[in-house]
Amino acid sequence: MKLQLDRYAYLETPLHSWDPRYKLVGFMTLIFAFSFVDNLQLLPFMVAVSGVLYAVSQLPLSFLLARMRLPGFFLLMMGVLLPFISGSTVLFHLGPLSVKQEGCLDLLLIAVKFVSILTMGIILFGTSPFLTNVKAMCALGLPSILADMILFTYRYLYDISDNLKTMQTAMRLRGFQGHNIKGLVTLASLAGTILVRSYEQSDRVYKAMTLRGYGQADVNRGGQHEEEFEAYSRDLWGLIILLLVAAAFVVGQILIR
Amino acid sequence: MHIPDGVLPTAVCLGGYATAGAAAWFSLRKISRQENPREGMPKASLLTAAFLVASWIHIPIPPASVHLMLNGLLGVVLGYYAFPAILIGLFFQAIMFQHGGLTTLGVNATVIGVPALLAFYLFRLRNILGRENRVLTGLFGFLAGGGGIALAAVAAFFILVTTIPAHLDVEAEQASIYALTLAHIPVMILEGVFTAVVAVFLQRVKPELLEG
Repeated sequence: MKLQLDRYAYLETPLHSWDPRYKLVGFMTLIFAFSFVDNLQLLPFMVAVSGVLYAVSQLPLSFLLARMRLPGFFLLMMGVLLPFISGSTVLFHLGPLSVKQEGCLDLLLIAVKFVSILTMGIILFGTSPFLTNVKAMCALGLPSILADMILFTYRYLYDISDNLKTMQTAMRLRGFQGHNIKGLVTLASLAGTILVRSYEQSDRVYKAMTLRGYGQADVNRGGQHEEEFEAYSRDLWGLIILLLVAAAFVVGQILIR
Repeated sequence: MHIPDGVLPTAVCLGGYATAGAAAWFSLRKISRQENPREGMPKASLLTAAFLVASWIHIPIPPASVHLMLNGLLGVVLGYYAFPAILIGLFFQAIMFQHGGLTTLGVNATVIGVPALLAFYLFRLRNILGRENRVLTGLFGFLAGGGGIALAAVAAFFILVTTIPAHLDVEAEQASIYALTLAHIPVMILEGVFTAVVAVFLQRVKPELLEG
């Protein structure tokens, strides 16, 4: 299974060449500013900002749409529930159920915020290699043990997922159906086997790492990563622009409220 | 149970980051007190990936199928590494599969990770009563697995129903929490049974994995 997040990180756009530390701070601030908004009048601006940034990133639209599929189910669930249970102003009747105005507006607010924030997240992690983003997080103060865990998990996620696929194929070839309680026991054994295999692999990995000096010189990794990045004035200007946009949303929300 | 972006107010999201930060700090402090804290890192990382992959296994409940969360099992196997592992797992789910969200990462990590830590403490009681006994391993595995998801479900539904920007009255909110929790009881039992079977399997095949 390949779900490469940074498949288009090689493109050359201002967002791709932006210092990832500034990009992380700017985008996360804007994402939280979006989540602060609960006024419908600001929603068109939110869509415009995320649309413009996505266009600047030159990421294909199909890349975004493919990633919307899974969370789309959540929106569908909200769409089925909210218009019927939220509010009191009845818009029209649908059989025995009544569709309420407040519920429809709540759904619109949630859907637009959800899609905009998701788009921002995809731009943030789709325009830099994943390793570079983790280094940027380290430079911004992420504890080194968490950074190591993120990189290791990322490195072995695909390996273990391929292992699972192989084992599931082997089970099917041996006639596994899994529709009863015995099937549950077999699936639990499958999960247990994945854990045991990963544990044994981790032991070998740790020994190999120790032989290569892992844990011997515990240098200040945050500082080390910081030296890998070089920020120019354009990076700072990019951050200032994004912070101003985020501030505009927050101020707009407070004033309109 | 993964709360997505755009649903919760910013104050709740930031509060989630604060509680997740505190829980991560507590876990990392406990890890750093271990004899060789770096030794557990590759084990925890590979098991984090393994748990992510294991949670993709479809458990058939005719006519549909469900995915398990396995937070109780994570607590049982990883101990103090469980919270960082869940934080990282949720981060990957948010950025790779758009399951959960970046603003709600703290809330989700707290809702799923703190019950995992409690499941770890609960499962450790097995050591007092007899760690070699498979029936006890199964029983505590069931309590850890079922309890882990039960706590997470109640916390997630409570946060969702009480803070979502919808015009619900108090009675409707309470009814929604009860209904959503009751609807998840079969999943809690299933998760408990699954965790119990995996715990017994691990005790038979690789008992050191249950030492947390």
